[in-house]
Formats: sequence, structure tokens, C-alpha cells
Amino acid sequence: MIEVKNVMKKYGRKQVLKGLSFTAEKGEITCLIGINGVGKTTIMKAIMALTPINSGEILIDGEKIRKESFEKVTFIPDTITMLPQMKICDAFTFMADFYKNWDPLRAEELLQFFKLDPTERIANLSKGNMAKVNMILGLALNVDYLLMDEPFSGIDIFSREQIAEVFTSHLIEDRGVIITTHEISDIEHLIDRAVIIDNGEVLKEFSVEEVREKEGKSVVDVMREVYRR
Amino acid sequence: MKNFFKLLNFEVNRFFKLYLTLIGLIIVSQFIGAIVESKVYMDRTDQEMYKNQLSMSQYIERHGVFSFNYVFESEWFLLPIFFSIAMLMIYVFFIWYRDWFGKNTFIYRLLMLPTERITIYFAKLTTIMFLVLGLVTLQILLIPIEIQIVNSIIPTDFQSNFSFYHFSSFEIWGWMYPNTFTEFILIYGVGLIFVAVLFTAILIERSYGLKGILFAIVYGMVSFGVFFAPILLNELSSGYFYSLEVFLMLLVMSFIVLGSAIWIANHLLKYKIRV
Repeated sequence: MIEVKNVMKKYGRKQVLKGLSFTAEKGEITCLIGINGVGKTTIMKAIMALTPINSGEILIDGEKIRKESFEKVTFIPDTITMLPQMKICDAFTFMADFYKNWDPLRAEELLQFFKLDPTERIANLSKGNMAKVNMILGLALNVDYLLMDEPFSGIDIFSREQIAEVFTSHLIEDRGVIITTHEISDIEHLIDRAVIIDNGEVLKEFSVEEVREKEGKSVVDVMREVYRR
Repeated sequence: MKNFFKLLNFEVNRFFKLYLTLIGLIIVSQFIGAIVESKVYMDRTDQEMYKNQLSMSQYIERHGVFSFNYVFESEWFLLPIFFSIAMLMIYVFFIWYRDWFGKNTFIYRLLMLPTERITIYFAKLTTIMFLVLGLVTLQILLIPIEIQIVNSIIPTDFQSNFSFYHFSSFEIWGWMYPNTFTEFILIYGVGLIFVAVLFTAILIERSYGLKGILFAIVYGMVSFGVFFAPILLNELSSGYFYSLEVFLMLLVMSFIVLGSAIWIANHLLKYKIRV
């Protein structure tokens, strides 16, 4: 389980996270929802120790992040994390060199699924294909938790569909996923839990299935209620 | 340790094309310089001998034999070296900043590697040292070849007995090619500390943003002050200390400055760095 407890974060004088708390379980897809600038990406970075927090605590399976944690949790940011001059296959070699948990067969499987050419240079890829490569770099690691920052942002409809398909496959099963989006319609049918964030605070955290069954509401309905309050 | 070597290899490869270009530039420019300067000398000598009706021995008596200063102090020889030094100085900054800026923010990947983050710092630091020592070694290898080139153009009577030993006695090169191993360790040790402090200053800036620039400058000045404190102290006390004592104090200060640069960098990379 990833536990984010009362996290505070300031950028200069601006308080970006104001005591934000939520949990993300293994085997569930947790979606952080909020408009741009509410601190979704910041919280992802904070989980990965890519930005410091002013107070609060973040635990991954009960432990603070350390070097070994990067074999257990990975982050797929909205920008590619490999060098532009690298070919896709070079990027895979780099991953295999450093991560014990890199699964080359899964990488190959995903490459075929996304119909990508391993000899293609990253710099020459379209935005959609770059997002797919980025996705492979995360998904081919045998990690327990995946953090994805706006995986559907700015890419074409067919690439979106392909990426969405991954969420319903064995590639995601049993893993804990935290995903951020400001366009919930793309993934509403995929997520288990929703955490609505506004102004650095959690406004509501709920099980999507439960709300749908008990109250007959979609995530968008709940969002409407929460934001109009 | 394995990850350190992998990262080192990776970092060296990233600069390798540009490095080969620098090497090519140095070789071509210095070889051309050796040829041009020798030819110019010979033309001048021929004209002088012809104009004044001098024999070879009379000319040598008046003007001396060919001086290798013509080559080693020429622009052909010096410019590529200064250019390489400038490139390496820029690369000290670029080796970090390029991972943050641009379309592909590679720093995400580096900081998410399952290894101690300070390994990245050590790998980059070692890369810079390798690149510097590589060029210094290249120059050592080039000198005898350049002497051969000059000697193949200049007639034997005009040739001076010149070797690498003479080259390192040039004031300008003395610091780059020290005569003893101890001096080598000291000079390049100071270089290493300088780069380590710059790296840490960069990480301070990367961790604290605009405020960080100020912190980095203060940190740099404090490190500089601490490092040179023994010399300053000795000056202020009108040479109260023996040279050996000053040297030992400098050595202690070097360890303090280097140790604190690494400690601060480690702390920043672990807890303060921002992507």
C-alpha cells in the first residue's frame, strides 16, 4: 500500500499541498482527479522523492522510499525519460542494465502490441508513440506500484484506446496504480478508487464501484457535487 | 559499485562524439602548426641567409637554432587546447543541466535508478576527470610526433635537442605536466575538488531554485575561503608557519572541502532535489 499522510508542500510562498492524505492499494487503480495546477503531479513526484515535502510522510508498504524502492514502484511522467538520440532498443538495454526487475519479454510483447519499431530513434517518434514507449519503460518493470501522470494527455484517439486497453490487461492486474488526469472521461470505466483534489487538499476519496452501485452516480457526478459545494 | 561503472560508461559515451571531435581538432591543428611554423622558419632563414649572404653556421651563430617555442607558443598549438579547456569547463555545467532541460528530462530516469543517488554525482565527476586526463595524455603522446614533424622539415644543423622534458619546463605547461607524482596528485587533486564544489553548487541551485543561486555562490565562496585559509593565515602572520605546516593544513582543508561537497551533494540528492 502507498500511504500519503498529511503532506504539505510549498513552492516559494504558494502552498501547493495542504495536508494531503490518501492511500493506494495494490491491485487497485487509484485516480487522482483535479484541474491543472492542484498538485497532482507534485504528489507523484513527492512519492518518488523527486521533490521534497515540507512535512508529512509518504510510505510504500510501510517504508520510506529508499534505493531498493525503485524496484518496487515506478513513475511514468508525462515526458519521456530517455535520451532523444537513443533508439527504443537502446532504452530497453539501459533499463535491463540497471533494473533487476526489467522483464525483456514483456517489453517485447508490449512493443508488438503497440506496433513500434525497436530501431526507431526516440527523437523521431510522434507524441503518441513517445507516450507508448514511456508506458513500456514502466510496464516492463516487474514493480508492485505504477504511478502514471496524465498518460492520455495530448495524444491521438487511437493511441489513447491502445493505452486504455493496457489497463484492462494482465499487465496491470495485481499491481497498484496511481494515475492522474484532468479528463476523467477517458478512464472512468477503468478506475477502482477516485481521489478528488482541489487546491492542495483531498475533497473526497471514494470507491467508484461503491458509489456507482449505492448512489447510482458516476465519477463525473461526484465531481460536480464536490466542486459545486 | 557495478552501477557506478555502468553510469560512468554511460556518461563517457554521451560525450564521446564531441570528445573525438576535440581530439581531432587538437591533432589536426597542432600538426598543421608544426608544419606551418617550421616552413615559416625555414623561409625566413633562407631569406635572411640570402639577403645577408650568411652561411648556415654564421646564421646559427647570430640567431641560434630553431626554437620549439615557435610551435608550442603558436596559435595553432594553443588555441585548440584553450578551446578544449573551455569546452570542458562548459561541460562541467552541461553534464548536469542537460538532464533537466530540453524535451527529454533524463534526470527523472537517473534519480529513479535503484542505486544510491550519489553514484550519479561520482560517475559525472569521474567522467570529467577522465576527459581531462585523456586530453592531457593525448598531448603527451602528440609532443614526440610533433617534434618528429618539425625535425623532418628543419635541416639537422638547425634542429635543437628538444624532448618532452623541455616541454614541461615551459612555464605555461608546468602546472599541466608536473615533474613529480606528488605534484601531479596535488594539482589534479585541486582540480577534482574544484569540480566537486562546482557540482555541489549546481545541485544547490537545482534544489532551491532562484534562492539556490545565492546559496550556491555563498557555498562556493565559503569553500574557496576554507581551502585557502592556511595560505591567508600564513600571509597574515607574516610567514609564521613552515612550508610543510602550511602544506599539511592545506591538505586537511582539501579533505574538509571535498568531504563536505560530497556530503552536501548526497544530502541534496536524497532529500532536496527537485525535478
